[in-house]
Amino acid sequence: MTLADFAHRGAASSYAFLDASAKRELRRKMLKAVCVPGCQMPYASREVPIARGWGTGGLQVSLTLVTPKTSVKVIDQGADDSVNAASIRRFIARVAGCPVTTDTCTADLIQSRHRIPEEILRPDQILVLQVPNPEPLRPVQPNMSVARQMHADADYGRMWLQLYEEIVRSGRVMQGSAYPSLVNGRHVMTPSPIPRWDVPKLHMARHLTILCAGREKRIHAVPPFTRVEPLVFDDIPYRVEEHANLTCAKSRARGFFMNELPQADGSAIHEISDSGYGEKSIRLRDGETDVRGQTWYRDGRMT
Amino acid sequence: MAYVSARGGERAIDQAERLFRAEMGPIEPERVAQSRDGLPYLIDRVMGEASLYNPDLAALALAQTGGDLSEAVLLLRAWRTTQPRIAVAAPVEQEGLFTHRRISAAFKDVPGGQVLGPTLDYAHRILATEVLDGEAFRPSPVDAAETPTDPTPPHVSGWQAENELVDLPDPDPTKGEDIPDITRQPLLFPAKRAHTLQSLARAETGGILALGYAAMRGHGSDHPTVNELRLAEAEVEVLHPSGTRFSAGRVKVSQAEVVSKQGERLRLGFAATFGWNEVKVIAAATLDLNNTDHAEKGSPTEEEFVLYHTEGVESSGFCIHFKLPHYVSFQSSLDAMRDVAARKAAPAEHKEHASIEEPAE
Repeated sequence: MTLADFAHRGAASSYAFLDASAKRELRRKMLKAVCVPGCQMPYASREVPIARGWGTGGLQVSLTLVTPKTSVKVIDQGADDSVNAASIRRFIARVAGCPVTTDTCTADLIQSRHRIPEEILRPDQILVLQVPNPEPLRPVQPNMSVARQMHADADYGRMWLQLYEEIVRSGRVMQGSAYPSLVNGRHVMTPSPIPRWDVPKLHMARHLTILCAGREKRIHAVPPFTRVEPLVFDDIPYRVEEHANLTCAKSRARGFFMNELPQADGSAIHEISDSGYGEKSIRLRDGETDVRGQTWYRDGRMT
Repeated sequence: MAYVSARGGERAIDQAERLFRAEMGPIEPERVAQSRDGLPYLIDRVMGEASLYNPDLAALALAQTGGDLSEAVLLLRAWRTTQPRIAVAAPVEQEGLFTHRRISAAFKDVPGGQVLGPTLDYAHRILATEVLDGEAFRPSPVDAAETPTDPTPPHVSGWQAENELVDLPDPDPTKGEDIPDITRQPLLFPAKRAHTLQSLARAETGGILALGYAAMRGHGSDHPTVNELRLAEAEVEVLHPSGTRFSAGRVKVSQAEVVSKQGERLRLGFAATFGWNEVKVIAAATLDLNNTDHAEKGSPTEEEFVLYHTEGVESSGFCIHFKLPHYVSFQSSLDAMRDVAARKAAPAEHKEHASIEEPAE
């Protein structure tokens, strides 16, 4: 017996890239995260063959959950064929041998950067959100160990103060995306940089959402039927982006989150940000029926 | 080709990667061997930051990435993490190292002698431009010393401890699998000693130098004196399943021990890494020295600040992630900005939540 017999050379030999010990750790941490909704669980966070900050947390969760039968959808900013989404989807399919899809309704596992699809997710679907910064307290407390203590004490006074100061200065809360939200009445979490439009979709949702930061080595979760409440004052309601009355230039559909596309003449047109749903809307316009699933928003209003 | 298009992004991505690789040309074993043999200090740096000691793989990673250091380190780390841990080597004792270079700035001479070993420290840094004109640079031959130095000299801090100048830390009895492993556990603060030393060993050289230099320039509480710097080879001693202990080979290591001269006793800072990388271990040991209980949270020498921001794979990855599209969060902020601008233009319509002037202080 020689040392060479122990070490296997060359390519990763494990199914779905990660070895068994990495997957076991992730399964355990995901279970913990589900048990304490919104609470950040530290985990080792292995290196994966894409750069840190490019969805390595989401990718580790996807690689742990995927099976050869899992239908995987990957989106970035809502788009299936954005550079990084395409790269991650190709990698998962290559190492897991699983089918891929762009249809939210037929996907079993959806890995997303910064969007929640417009179509309502079912209890059997899992949404994996990539998280650049898991710590909602970072703007008021950049030190991770101090922030951890503040979560333990439910010490969110400075968060409220920050929101109050924004209202005093600007007349409204200026937080664009990643709106801090109270989960299950206990932990303030970042929903990842999803637009404000998407945060209500997490509230009492039927599906499981796992949020995972690779670089920062934290995982948190929103289990099904869990309260997710954006931090707002009683007299100043939560406001999503003013997209309800925008019309998609490609499909003529209205009432969904839109991408603004600047035009050469100085004007702008809009298109549906959820590219899978946008395609379905085009097919609907062209006469196909039963292509679109039920959506969270109807006529631009959250149902 | 737009980088997000309706369809066709995948083809563009594929072609962009091909363009990079085509410009690199074919990677033959000779190119890898040349990188390995011709650039040993670069290989050492990459192996240290990857925490994977394998000069062939390091040279391959450099060849594959065209010398992009962050990419090469990421390649090696991603490969390393999939490999089984078949054994944990015995701890390396400073006095057991086969030492090539060992110097102390604290004393003119030390037991075991000042062993300069291979270094450019005292060289005139002059480009050998004649090489470009076709005339090879042939180094002068080395004259061997009359008597060889002891390859395993005693450590300086041992002498200092005997003379009650320094308190050596208690030996850590943790063994084998029980040693906390930064590649298998998250880094939490206050960090375990093993995690701190492992993080410093894996740290990005430029990053650790920047923060170490900040500490040296006065942003730290303690000024370092290089008590002992070693470039050495360490035996990797492992336990064979049959029960025998044996050396699986030697690895090049660097170690630096710096001391602070404030107070009644010297205080030690320490760092070690794979490969020969002096600037890294001196800077890292300086940061270790400055990471005291009074280092203010968020100061450039405080543990959390240092260890988070010198992690090369994470910092480089996050930096380049800003090239990814961010139009959803951008759109979300534009919405709030336009709303505020509209309110200011027509304040009467939105009286209820109009902005309130802050009172003068």
